Amino acid sequence: MSEFWRGLKVSLPVLLGFVPFGLVLGSQAAAKGLSTLDITLMTALNFAGGSEFTVIDLWTWPPTIPLIVALTLLVNSRHILMGAALAPAMRHLPARKVLPALALMCDESWALGLDDARKRGGVLSLPFYVGLSLGLYLSWPSSAAIGSIVGPILGDITRYGFDMAFPAVFLVMLAGMWQGVSAARPWLVSLVVGAATYLAVPGAWYVPAGALSGIAAAYFWAQSND
Amino acid sequence: MIEPLTLLTIVLMAGATYFTRIAGYLFLRNRTLSPRLVTVMESAPGCVLIAVIAPNFVSGRPADVIALAVTVLAASRLPILPTVVIAILSAGLLRALLP
Repeated sequence: MSEFWRGLKVSLPVLLGFVPFGLVLGSQAAAKGLSTLDITLMTALNFAGGSEFTVIDLWTWPPTIPLIVALTLLVNSRHILMGAALAPAMRHLPARKVLPALALMCDESWALGLDDARKRGGVLSLPFYVGLSLGLYLSWPSSAAIGSIVGPILGDITRYGFDMAFPAVFLVMLAGMWQGVSAARPWLVSLVVGAATYLAVPGAWYVPAGALSGIAAAYFWAQSND
Repeated sequence: MIEPLTLLTIVLMAGATYFTRIAGYLFLRNRTLSPRLVTVMESAPGCVLIAVIAPNFVSGRPADVIALAVTVLAASRLPILPTVVIAILSAGLLRALLP
């Protein structure tokens, strides 16, 4: 079996976790007035679910572009760390191959790619990584597109509680990031400051206010632990 | 057809995301991050996510607050799809039952 196919096969069980997220994202995008083409293009070019859910949740017309770009950078800042962690396993590859390959890096392809590289003496198999990433990548815009088409139909039935799907998705993502109460303390700061700002200040300022105060708290707590 | 402003937003989002994907490789491949910075970067995505949904926690509507509590409980132990179904059903039911 070629390395590419081995990677594609590893991606299959992970797809089960990808597709429902894509469906929910697509239907939420439709509820916010985005077309199937809009959400397909967004998921195909951006390919980072956390930032897409955030942007869709705050979507207004016209879009607040500086806020959207800033939040995308914030939500996806973990990629910087992931890329740095993967870099030693890619030293044998030229940058002209690594840079396009990194466009497909998501939490799952990163974790599985790094795990596979560790089993092979710390060297990433590029065809394996590409097969794995491509399987995951292709499922994302297609499930979002399907979600945006079937979502409005389903939305008529579930309309009265449908808005609760958003916090549900975010809470599942947070549960996936959970690393214990101590590590979650900055999240509590973000929640309290975000909620207080929402009650006191009109507009979407509660997002940067909550996020940045949590990050500042994380910085402060990490320092005092050193 | 796509609105030019929507297209611009998507392209800028994608550019920002691609930057985060290559930045670690380009700038940090020969260095190591301090443990403090690693801790901060690990909690940053969660800070953003919780800030986005913060208004849900202070909606002031009893039905929504209870439904959110049910959803928090579901999210802590179930995968995405059942959690979303429970969230929608509990919100729909509670809003119908409570004022």
